[in-house]
Amino acid sequence: MTDRLAKFTSAMDRLYEFDREPVSPEKLQSGGKFAGLFAGEHVAATEFVIGAFFVLHGVTARSLLFGLLFGNLLAVISWTLVCAPIAVRTRLTLYWYLRKIAGPGVTLLYNIANAFLYCILAGAMISVSATAVGILFGIRVPALDAILPSSAGWVAIVFVLGAAFTTMAILGFEKLSRFAQVASPWIFAIFFAGAVAVLPKLGVEPNLANLWETLSTKVWNGVAVGGQEKFGFWHILFFAWFCNLAMHVGLSDMALFRYARKWTYGLYSAFGMYPGHMFAWICSGIMVAAIGRQMDPGLMAFEAAGAAGIGAVLLAGWTTANPTLYRAGLALQTITPNWPRWRITLLAGSVTTVLACFPLFFLKLLDYVAIYGLVLMPIGAIVFTEHWIFPIIRVEQYMAEKRGWTFNWAVLAVWLGTLAVCFLLPIHLYFKWLPGWFIAAASYTVLMAVQKGTGRIKERSRAGGESGPASAKGESR
Amino acid sequence: MKTFLAVASILSLVLCLVAPVLFFLEILPEPSFKLALLLASLGWFFLATNWARYWEKPQA
Repeated sequence: MTDRLAKFTSAMDRLYEFDREPVSPEKLQSGGKFAGLFAGEHVAATEFVIGAFFVLHGVTARSLLFGLLFGNLLAVISWTLVCAPIAVRTRLTLYWYLRKIAGPGVTLLYNIANAFLYCILAGAMISVSATAVGILFGIRVPALDAILPSSAGWVAIVFVLGAAFTTMAILGFEKLSRFAQVASPWIFAIFFAGAVAVLPKLGVEPNLANLWETLSTKVWNGVAVGGQEKFGFWHILFFAWFCNLAMHVGLSDMALFRYARKWTYGLYSAFGMYPGHMFAWICSGIMVAAIGRQMDPGLMAFEAAGAAGIGAVLLAGWTTANPTLYRAGLALQTITPNWPRWRITLLAGSVTTVLACFPLFFLKLLDYVAIYGLVLMPIGAIVFTEHWIFPIIRVEQYMAEKRGWTFNWAVLAVWLGTLAVCFLLPIHLYFKWLPGWFIAAASYTVLMAVQKGTGRIKERSRAGGESGPASAKGESR
Repeated sequence: MKTFLAVASILSLVLCLVAPVLFFLEILPEPSFKLALLLASLGWFFLATNWARYWEKPQA
């Protein structure tokens, strides 16, 4: 078992070898690059669904605007004050920094969890694209409460799209990434075009005199669709904040910000948040209101923007599922040593395609996004604590690395324990992560401080001539 | 060539933004707006894909 684990972790290290060393000063990037990267990354297929769901959840126009304004501001602040400073100080990816803190065993588990979560996310994107293709063949989108596939036609479309996306990801990830850069501003333009084009259908006059009245009575009118929970300001604020929780508070974007000249480059995340997670969500909300509040992104875009709309939903799904499949493949490769890239992408694509058949993941996308962030959040809290709190309270940093631990059991216990506590917390799913972060940070500090105390007692007893074989116990953790 | 592709690409994208505004202002009828949007979109992909060949290679 130990040999097998060692084999996995050494295979994992080889995969990430290229970014093992801290980024050197000549490789640092300008602020404009960060602005462009964020702007391109946050206009995805899921934007067609998220903004539309806010309408279905009966949020009011005022709650939506203020919720998105402040929620996205908190997300930008999280990138700027939590993620970027650690990335700039260490110049490492989360993978290598976590390895120093948690040991290679925990890092392996983190990677597997990440891979599975990525597959579900890519699956949701394939499902969204399937709604666009479904229009061409008259296949209806599953009902809002559907869990299982609703028809053979839906399964067939998902399989064809899943196979196509996977094949293209295998054949040319690099070229597709370049294509995604081209597609991104156009998808943004289609969001704008679709929203503006349906305004007359909703009754907005060309002089915009009744714009606010129409939006607050026909789009975000405060009435939830049957079976959907009513959302208010706090739901929207928290959703906008945690939508990329794994990236900012969860520290995944250390991979990006290690190239930043200054920690203030975190502010460039606003170029992704406000156009993608505010403007695009508002646009999709307007579009869904124009089709009678049906959750059908393909139909919504087609009615608003015609064939270009269908193309936008399809391409948004494709261009964002592609890097997600790549990341899932990279994370999965850690448990399949020596597999070539194509085989691991095929595996990730197959898992993703099967998951995409179940409409549950796309129809419960908001809850899934919350769970995704929640699952990875404790790791961010642990890394934050180790980086900032431990030097202040004089707890030794990077014990796993210094003592050669495969598993830092404190990390694993805090990770799983925090998730268990969050599960039991009697508050809405969207709000659980915030107390969870403090629980993770506090419990990790206590556990490691206690460990430090235990270590000192052992050292004293060793120095006092009571040394024995047990003194090496800590080293074998 | 690079400048031509850049200008033409951006114009296509601008047309994607202007077409719905013209429809909203009742200057363009709906079928014309949707056709204009489709043609401008095709134009953007053709031109911008060629323009992208001149872009700096993204970092791996």
